[in-house]
Amino acid sequence: MIRTLRILAGNPLSLLGLLLVCLITLAAILAPWIAPFPTHNGAVVDFLNNNRPPSAQNWMGTDLVGRDIFSRILFAYQISLTLGVVVLAIATPIGTIIGLLAGYLGGWTEMILMRIVDVFLSIPPLVLAIAMMGVLEPTLTNAMLAVTAMWWPWYARLVYSIARGEREEGYVLAAEVIGAGATHIAFREILPNCLPAIITKMTLDMGFVIIIASSLSFLGLGVQPPTADLGSMVAEGARYLPDSWWLTIFPGLAILIAVFGFNLLGDGLRDVLGEDE
Amino acid sequence: MSILDIKNLNLAFKTLTGQVDVLHGIDLNIAAGEKVALVGESGSGKSVTARVVLGLLQETRSARINGSVVFDGQDINAMPARKRAALRGTKMSMIFQDPTSSLNPMFTVGNQFTEVLRRRDHKLSKMASHDRATKLLEEVAIPDPARVLGSYAFQLSGGMNQRVMIAMALANRPKLLLADEPGTALDVSVQAQTVSLMRDLVEENGTSVLFISHNLGVVREFADRVYVIYRGRIVEDGPTAALFANPLHAYTRALMSAVPRITGAGLPEVPEVSDDFLAARVSHTEAS
Repeated sequence: MIRTLRILAGNPLSLLGLLLVCLITLAAILAPWIAPFPTHNGAVVDFLNNNRPPSAQNWMGTDLVGRDIFSRILFAYQISLTLGVVVLAIATPIGTIIGLLAGYLGGWTEMILMRIVDVFLSIPPLVLAIAMMGVLEPTLTNAMLAVTAMWWPWYARLVYSIARGEREEGYVLAAEVIGAGATHIAFREILPNCLPAIITKMTLDMGFVIIIASSLSFLGLGVQPPTADLGSMVAEGARYLPDSWWLTIFPGLAILIAVFGFNLLGDGLRDVLGEDE
Repeated sequence: MSILDIKNLNLAFKTLTGQVDVLHGIDLNIAAGEKVALVGESGSGKSVTARVVLGLLQETRSARINGSVVFDGQDINAMPARKRAALRGTKMSMIFQDPTSSLNPMFTVGNQFTEVLRRRDHKLSKMASHDRATKLLEEVAIPDPARVLGSYAFQLSGGMNQRVMIAMALANRPKLLLADEPGTALDVSVQAQTVSLMRDLVEENGTSVLFISHNLGVVREFADRVYVIYRGRIVEDGPTAALFANPLHAYTRALMSAVPRITGAGLPEVPEVSDDFLAARVSHTEAS
């Protein structure tokens, strides 16, 4: 762990990624205390100060009903990060278990599981999520559900391909020879060898989940107003470009910084953990 | 009393295009405490024989196995899979060609030792297993057991890993040790050291060994008795000294003449296939 951090810190780009991720996480956690206008996360109206450009009082300006955009971005990070963490926390174990079983057991198990995975992979992810959200009510929980449904097959694929390779390694045969059962070999011998790749992919995916979730709420299928969300903030302001540029540019930059940070960190981790794609 | 008695073992693999016969009626016998070598070229059926004895191929759906493999009084072919798995790692164990890849790169040697020891004693504590592993590593002449136990396989040399593998394979005092070309991936001098170490240990413990190899030099030093296998048939067998002094079967002779001499007479020529190689089995009864 300490070794990993030290190598990460040695690479300026990875270090930047790590700093951005820490900064965003802190901002999200501390939002209720550090936001200049903590109440502006919800339904607050201040028409005296609506649609103002950035100023000393409102660093990123105010939106159409007079709420402080900087405060709302801090709260929106809470939503984005929660969504990312929850989606990955559900999608990763599901995909990993399916990939492991398919890769290690082979035969019919592999055929059936991986064909199901192929079916999911063949549907464009955003289309699948939009279809699901069209049927379900657009809430944060359902958005998580939709993104999870499109995410787990990628983990199944990744783990499957590694497990297929590891299955032929000497230590797997050696474990079979000392009488270890299939579950032990899959989870205790092969899984640890998949972990570096899984961790790297999770870090990279945090960024992508944030983008997809923002896309959904940009389309009005995610978190509903008045709750602050980066995607819906961009959508609201898009009509008033280029005059009221602060309405869209700042939430857009916020998405960019989050995705950029997680990607840099993920790339750095990949180098440290010795994973190449 | 024999610890392993293979009678008329036939093995075939079912493929999409039909059946591929691999073993044609193998007979092989190992007495308690005896060291037996199975010698032959690649593809002759040495390694699959070992896998049948371990009961690994019985669980492969495409494998067709006939004949009896009696280990310690019980027929392995007739056993339920669970019972076969219970034998592995406790009453029989195995050593492989490449010791380094046989150890999981994600765990320390000590960690893997604990797992092996817990095969026999499920409640063994970490401390007790560490002590036991230290003793076992001392037995295989590892000078600094504590360091080795805390290391990962890739941090140790091939020879060191081979010693670790030998110690692990013998950790639960098995009745039968299968050695599939042990140390072929190592260089010759290290291989010689580890093989002689293994010989001393199995003699001390009274472990029977099935030693699978194509290296006649090592076999001659290690084994009490030798079986020569060619294309899934045993072609010659007998006590090591007798067989080496007077090889009777055409294939055994070809195999022996195929060993490159260190004095450098060029690579010997061995015919790919010869009708003589398919001649009937020859058995040396006693030292002749």
